Amino acid sequence: MTEPFVVLKDISKSFVGVKVLKDVSFDVRPGEVHALLGENGAGKSTLIKVLSGLYQPDGGKIIIGGEEKKFASTRDATANGIATVYQELLLFPELSVAENVFLGHYPRTSSGIIDWTTVRSRTRELLDSLDTYDLDVDSKVLTLSVAQRQRVEIAKALSRDAKILIMDEPTASLVESDVQRLMSIVRQLRERGVGIIYVSHRMPEIFALADRVTVLRDGAFVATKDIHEVTEKDLVSLMVGRSIESLFPKVEVPIGETVLAVKNLNHGRHVQDISFELRKGEILGVAGLVGSGRTELALTLFGMTPATSGEIKLNGKPVRIASPIHARDLGIAYVPEDRGLQGLVKPMAIRQNITMATIDKVSKGIFIKAAEEMKHAVAAVKRLGVRCRDVNQPVGQLSGGNQQKVVIAKWLETAPQVLILDEPTRGVDVGAKSEIHSIMGELVRQGVAILMISSELPEVLGMSDRVLVMSAGRITDVIARAEATPERVGAAMTAHKSAEAA
Amino acid sequence: MNLKSLFRHEMLLAILLAIVLVILSFQSDKFFTVSNLLNQGRLMTETGLIAIAMTFIIATGGIDLSVGSILGLTAILTGVFWQNVGLPLPLAAAAAIAVGTFAGFVNGIIITRFRVPPLIATLATLALYRGLAEGISQARSVRGYPEWFYVLGQGNVLGVPTQLWLLLIAAVVASIILGYTRWGRTVYAIGNNEVAARFSGLSVERTKVALYTASGFAAAVAAVIFVSRVSTTRSDMGTGIELDAITAVVLGGTSIFGGRGTIAGTIIGLCLIQALKNGLSLAGVKGDGTIMLIGAVLILAILVSNLFERSGTR
Repeated sequence: MTEPFVVLKDISKSFVGVKVLKDVSFDVRPGEVHALLGENGAGKSTLIKVLSGLYQPDGGKIIIGGEEKKFASTRDATANGIATVYQELLLFPELSVAENVFLGHYPRTSSGIIDWTTVRSRTRELLDSLDTYDLDVDSKVLTLSVAQRQRVEIAKALSRDAKILIMDEPTASLVESDVQRLMSIVRQLRERGVGIIYVSHRMPEIFALADRVTVLRDGAFVATKDIHEVTEKDLVSLMVGRSIESLFPKVEVPIGETVLAVKNLNHGRHVQDISFELRKGEILGVAGLVGSGRTELALTLFGMTPATSGEIKLNGKPVRIASPIHARDLGIAYVPEDRGLQGLVKPMAIRQNITMATIDKVSKGIFIKAAEEMKHAVAAVKRLGVRCRDVNQPVGQLSGGNQQKVVIAKWLETAPQVLILDEPTRGVDVGAKSEIHSIMGELVRQGVAILMISSELPEVLGMSDRVLVMSAGRITDVIARAEATPERVGAAMTAHKSAEAA
Repeated sequence: MNLKSLFRHEMLLAILLAIVLVILSFQSDKFFTVSNLLNQGRLMTETGLIAIAMTFIIATGGIDLSVGSILGLTAILTGVFWQNVGLPLPLAAAAAIAVGTFAGFVNGIIITRFRVPPLIATLATLALYRGLAEGISQARSVRGYPEWFYVLGQGNVLGVPTQLWLLLIAAVVASIILGYTRWGRTVYAIGNNEVAARFSGLSVERTKVALYTASGFAAAVAAVIFVSRVSTTRSDMGTGIELDAITAVVLGGTSIFGGRGTIAGTIIGLCLIQALKNGLSLAGVKGDGTIMLIGAVLILAILVSNLFERSGTR
């Protein structure tokens, strides 16, 4: 067994009196992939930021190659061979690939001028070594795809002879084919003796890549295990501190009469000739690739982009939905895809966010009844299990899962008949995810009809009574729960159905 | 958290105002007299009314640069409706105020319906409305208003300048609206995240139109007070008043990016600017100097509020 290159010993760190890391120890050996796991707020990001020199620890030691080091800045960490590829890529879009890779340490000629020939040829070599022959070193970064930018980031790290590469959720915004390519790059780096710290929520990747895995919970070290010693279930229970019975607790409830009936609905290119029915107590899953029109369908039903033609019936009565206000008054709620942008007003209090869609209900005339609002907010927070200091805390301070619960709470205040959930558990940790799933179970039991859009196939298959599959703005298949297999859904997702065939 | 930091900002500003008042009263023995202070109150009413409406607009992340031109247009129309059209003066003033309010409504429509950024939309109407005012006035001023009309701008009620009562009422009503009603809540929500506000079923467009209309109304009322105070009507009235109003609002802690701000802060900011202006003029500094000072204060206010933001959030 090789000696660890980096050892973090008893690292602790507090922010304004809150301990976010409690005596965490962690090490990385050369030539291994060490996965770092934990729910949101478990302290992964803080630990990474300590190692990359962004934060200075309050206690503990950083030992590199047997020597204790202090990092005053990211520069010190880089000088010690530690490089980070952040989730939000930090490249300069207006500069070329080569300029980005060597930014800050350009090779120079004897007369002190930047040696552009060397910059370009070394960048070429680095990219080739990552099997990225298709990328031009002179293209501007803004023209590249996310996956390509990521490879530029990796090349940048290698250009500084990184011994340890930290990757923070590298696959979060990649499509499947790019994920495969990234994984092969990671394996290749491992062969070369680079130690990789890999942060990800996605279990299949962790099992495919990692040699060891360390789990953090609430800022404390839980365990470091060889990947062969553990199962997915073990890891989940280590992360949440309790065992989770089933990942998708589907509640069986009797399906009632039709609530929402949509016929030949159209809006632009992404909503074409859509017809379906949604019934009381039903969870109708919507699957499809990015750009298949799932979100656009939701936006049309919610009145954000009103239908240009077609018919929507609510409880048998034809309705016109021209605005979100309209939709809300009809009992249609939409929990949007982009929580930060569309779902929440982050600087405002939990209380204010929860009553935002029902402000009329907690007001008398134009005046907000503060006590009434408080009562609603406190009850909602309790009902959904939002973990917060109190309801006056700004929503932006909550973890992803709790933020999502606040958005759901806001719409439950409207007592909807139809609840549209768009990616309800994206960027939400395992514990909160299962809580959101049980909330969905509770709602269908009360007779709410749920339309759930999700990119996560296991979630769609696990939670839905029926699965509606979209491709290129049209419905390509509607599959009952018993017949919904990944193969059938996958086939429908890529199917192209022409207007004639429909 | 948010509320607390606002409170701090206003407290600090109030302390600053107190210091400035003390310094100025040492500088000149004419400053800290009841009659001077009341007179300063009289002078700041027009800017104050506009700044109160501006607080709402800036809190939504917008801006209204056309207020000075609306003021000028309303002033001219008051004179023209009364002297040339022959309406009785109260009716003439009311009609002019209606036109000024409509001018604000037009701003709102341009901004919401045609999606022109407020900065550009109101910059355009700043030129448009001023041009209209000048075209109508033909460089002639209107004078000779009846004596009773001057009560509004030059008279006192219970020993306090008439218009100062108006400002007081406007400030109280506005702070109640901003702080305790669903309209105020909508304003803050729009300022912090307009997209989420729309996705939450708030009437974003309608609120904005209402605010720009209210801003037009405030400028129009200010115009009538202005005319009554200076006993004459000219088309260049109110030029540059947007600078004073915006400075007061931003100095008062309203974020220029929207989402934060209070009426109390704006009023303190307003007093601070007026005190500085008065102090300078008592010290013999000319008008150009005071404009420079206001510019400097505006930059300083933004720097300080940025500093607060950085230390407040983390």
